Amino acid sequence: MSRSLRGAAAVAGIGATPYYKRGTSPHSALRLTLEAILAACADAGLDAHDVDGFVSYANDLSEGLAVGAALGVREIRWSTMVWGGGGGGVAAAVNAAAAAVASGQAEHVIVYRGLTEADDGRQSYGKGHFPSLLSAHGVLTPAQVCALRTQRMLEVDGVPGSALEALVQASYQHAQQNPDAVAYGRPLDHDTYAGARWVSEPLRLFDCSRENDGAAAVLVTSAERARDLRPVPAYVLSGVQGAGPDWSESAENNAAYTSAGFHPALVARLWAQAELAPGAADVVQVYENFSGPAVASLIDLGLCPPGAEAGTFMTLPNLLAPDGALPVNTAGGNLAEGFVHGIGLVLEAVRQIRGTSANQVPGADISLLLGGPVAPLVSATVFGSPATV
Amino acid sequence: MTDRPVLAGEVPADLVAVAERHGQVVAAGDNAATLADFRADRTGQLTGSARLPDRLISSRLLRLEAEPDGLFAAYIRYTADDGGSTVLRSVWVRLDEGWRVTQVRNIPATPPVMAAAGPRDDGLDAPHWEGLRDGEVRVQRCGRCGHWIWAPQPACPRCHGFELAWPTVEPAGNVYSWTRTWQPFSPELSGHVPFVIVLAELPSAGGRRLLGVLHDGDSTDMRVGQAVRGEIDPAPDPGGWPVLRWRRV
Repeated sequence: MSRSLRGAAAVAGIGATPYYKRGTSPHSALRLTLEAILAACADAGLDAHDVDGFVSYANDLSEGLAVGAALGVREIRWSTMVWGGGGGGVAAAVNAAAAAVASGQAEHVIVYRGLTEADDGRQSYGKGHFPSLLSAHGVLTPAQVCALRTQRMLEVDGVPGSALEALVQASYQHAQQNPDAVAYGRPLDHDTYAGARWVSEPLRLFDCSRENDGAAAVLVTSAERARDLRPVPAYVLSGVQGAGPDWSESAENNAAYTSAGFHPALVARLWAQAELAPGAADVVQVYENFSGPAVASLIDLGLCPPGAEAGTFMTLPNLLAPDGALPVNTAGGNLAEGFVHGIGLVLEAVRQIRGTSANQVPGADISLLLGGPVAPLVSATVFGSPATV
Repeated sequence: MTDRPVLAGEVPADLVAVAERHGQVVAAGDNAATLADFRADRTGQLTGSARLPDRLISSRLLRLEAEPDGLFAAYIRYTADDGGSTVLRSVWVRLDEGWRVTQVRNIPATPPVMAAAGPRDDGLDAPHWEGLRDGEVRVQRCGRCGHWIWAPQPACPRCHGFELAWPTVEPAGNVYSWTRTWQPFSPELSGHVPFVIVLAELPSAGGRRLLGVLHDGDSTDMRVGQAVRGEIDPAPDPGGWPVLRWRRV
């Protein structure tokens, strides 16, 4: 009996609310979450009463059991919260849902995340992760922690700032084709990027993700059931999560300090379980709380060379769909599509397998999702097309 | 005229009147006119950056200084009705729409004083904070295997011993990384941004790294590897806690 998750589960439905400017949602986070789940079920052609599992991450305020009660589901067989703040749990949540259906614990599991400033407050993503050993020194936000990591990556590892800008520009260019993106119709030029105000050096305004009100959800089910529901399921080929040595809650004493947290053993497991050569992704959705940690993620995964060579690879043409060597964040990502804790990246990873992205990579068979750089936990999921299973 | 500002370097003549008028509208509490002087893309950041007393009665432009990259720094002293005075340095840039403030800060630069200082609720890091009250920097170390532990833990992650010691270490090290924070993320940061946060690596603590704000946060030539030395800033009030700061040596 294989212990692999490969091909056992798939995403059969995706749904999302609009991205509202933070603080302007007309509804509560729970209501938005229900809208997103109903949309995902409609997309899959599933009666939402048949959902029997719920998974979220980053301390979503809408508990799975409460969500299930609100939907009046027939039975809740699985309810899981992924520990670890920040966006590190986004792929881990997909993996948890896949594990549940692969092991027969549940049949139709919803992965969701909903946020509103009215319910969650500002900077909900950092809550509880800034003890006094940080906050007494004015370190109050993920922006500052990610700035510290990025500064050393630039100054010591030699990654050029142009690598960060290329990722930001690719996100904004992709958003110009995505009418649902917050930055749709608002392209970003070099002078605007480089002349923007500092947030915490070396990060300027456009290096930082947005904060939005909104919700999104995906429906994960068994491979067999997914084939009944959708012409093109997005199969989960592998999933990993975790933290390397000295990684979490160490007051900036992480061993691999300029890493995003995807340590070598975890990366090796990701590709091995997917039965793919390392780096064999056609398209990548990489969580960008901030530009620097996103570049560090691509370096960790072996998708981008480390050090100065990162600048040679991380160019705008290389990062753009349809023809780039490594198209990233093809819906615009947290930077330019909108930020609901990265859940939008999951939907876009699935669209690339379906062939329905606004910036489609032709014939994409392998779609990689990376969650949570520099968060206490990181996670990744490889999605594959029907041709890969 | 004793009130004429000092002009350092090549300062455009029209900026003197602009900066003087800016001081006047700020002192008069004219928020609309003050905001109109700010760069439109950063009014929120600039408004939260400086801290002034409530009731101002006058302003005086002390000095205008040419800086690199077409920027000019204006030092303006504001006087409150209780006689106290505060100096702000605003940095000006000429845009198509006219002279605008692109940075502002209180002078002199002082580290933010955070109410959050002090031990966490479970007391895990209390010996560190108590050490600061005694004028010493203490870092957790396993009493059994000698492993240096930071952040503090309830057991040694290496040998799983519970005999944890808190030796005093020499607060001298090197900058492992740094960031200069400009965004006033909390009201406590107003009047102190920008400030430099240093993560310093301490040879005396087995290479463990400790965070602290750098005194002299305006220094522009920060780099990894610079030598720094710890200083303990006293508690802001009798019930408060001292805080470790770094200073370049």
